[in-house]
Amino acid sequence: MELFFIFVAIVLTQNFVLHYFLGICPFLGVSDEMEGAFGMGIATTFVMTLTAIITWNINTFILKAFNVEFLEYVSFILVIASLVQLVEMFLKKYLPELYETLGIYLPLITTNCAVLGLALFMVLREYNFVESAIFGFGAGVGFTLALVIMAGIRGELNEEDIPKPFRGTAITLLVAGLLALAFMGFSGLVPT
Amino acid sequence: MFGPVVIISASTMAGLGLLFAGLLGFAHTKLKVEEDPEVTEIEDILPGLDCGACGYPGCNQLAKAVAEGEAPPDSCVPGGEEVAEEIADLLGLEVSSEPGRMRLAVVHCGANNEEKNRVGNYEGVESCRTAELTTGGNMKCEYGCLGYGDCARACPFDAIEMVDGLPRIDPDNCTACGECVETCPRDIIVVEELDLEGDFVKVACNSEDEGSAVREKCDVGCIACGLCEQVGPDEVFSVEDNLSQMDYSGYGDDADFAMAIDKCPTGCIIRFPSPQEASETD
Repeated sequence: MELFFIFVAIVLTQNFVLHYFLGICPFLGVSDEMEGAFGMGIATTFVMTLTAIITWNINTFILKAFNVEFLEYVSFILVIASLVQLVEMFLKKYLPELYETLGIYLPLITTNCAVLGLALFMVLREYNFVESAIFGFGAGVGFTLALVIMAGIRGELNEEDIPKPFRGTAITLLVAGLLALAFMGFSGLVPT
Repeated sequence: MFGPVVIISASTMAGLGLLFAGLLGFAHTKLKVEEDPEVTEIEDILPGLDCGACGYPGCNQLAKAVAEGEAPPDSCVPGGEEVAEEIADLLGLEVSSEPGRMRLAVVHCGANNEEKNRVGNYEGVESCRTAELTTGGNMKCEYGCLGYGDCARACPFDAIEMVDGLPRIDPDNCTACGECVETCPRDIIVVEELDLEGDFVKVACNSEDEGSAVREKCDVGCIACGLCEQVGPDEVFSVEDNLSQMDYSGYGDDADFAMAIDKCPTGCIIRFPSPQEASETD
């Protein structure tokens, strides 16, 4: 039950994008097309899950064991950067179209604060291994969910006659704010 | 001399770094993508502006399309003949150039600073877009050039110069990429395909107001009298939406515009420099 709550919390009530406002750059950058948004979500989920698993091991068996916890930032970034490189190679080889769609946002997963935030939250909340893995995967699912919803709304918005001053980034930010507000409705779903 | 913490930290990071470097190195050999060397070579020849005038998102995509034979070697608009020839040489192709026609941005307003009729003062930001969005500028004419030079600033090729409140397009530098067309809030600039042999003539007005309204607002606007339809070359001028419009595809070097230019009561049908004339006057 505990694990289930962790998952629901990170997907809905404490969604990284809509609750903590982490990872806004790809949220606004690649949410204009459904296909790209979903691909980005999957790529980020992959990176997040593996990041959680690997950083937990590094944190527990290396950093804590040797009493060098101050290395967490630099070693976590190393893990994330390596994983992103791996994903990039994989996509370039097997899904070149998605690779083109994601463009610059793919290497930018490295600097996606949601990924680093995830690793740091995990340490802060002292999750065990299974909890960390669920947390990482849930964070990715939440990110994908936010991106896909946003892409859907923006797809509809393209058809609408938006007042001139609101066109483009302005209306996107407004929608993001309203979406975050809507997600606040989920709070209370998970007992704290 | 070093504390144990330093040594542990250094070796931890070095170990982790080596581990991941090894993993990535292994992955690299497994997941290597064979990139077509031709694509890289073509991309080196292309100007690398990513302007999108060719219809592809960027130079890399065009290079791929050219290498695969989907796009002709002369697709690059800003690169012009030189780039086309280099690419054709590389691929062993002939440049299938169609001589005699060129695409060029044409400005459809002829009111210079003196002829722009103003109402009140505009003290805002010196930008056409801002002026249009806020007060609509301070021009009487709602269609004419505001003259703040957004197009000149947007031009990636330095082909637009603001002269006396109007953009002047340098036909030698203009690559018809369409940045100015996108930028102009009043859609005054249009990319047209012109015959190099024929006369470079345009209707220097964009107003869809009725004739009487145009007369009130501007001395050099098109009043849609339709004279040009009658005296101009056959099937070139047509008056639609209270505005005389030209069909550039319809005439060649034998079309005579002297009558149309002469008879236009407000003088808004004017010649503008072709590339040859522009280089002669320099």
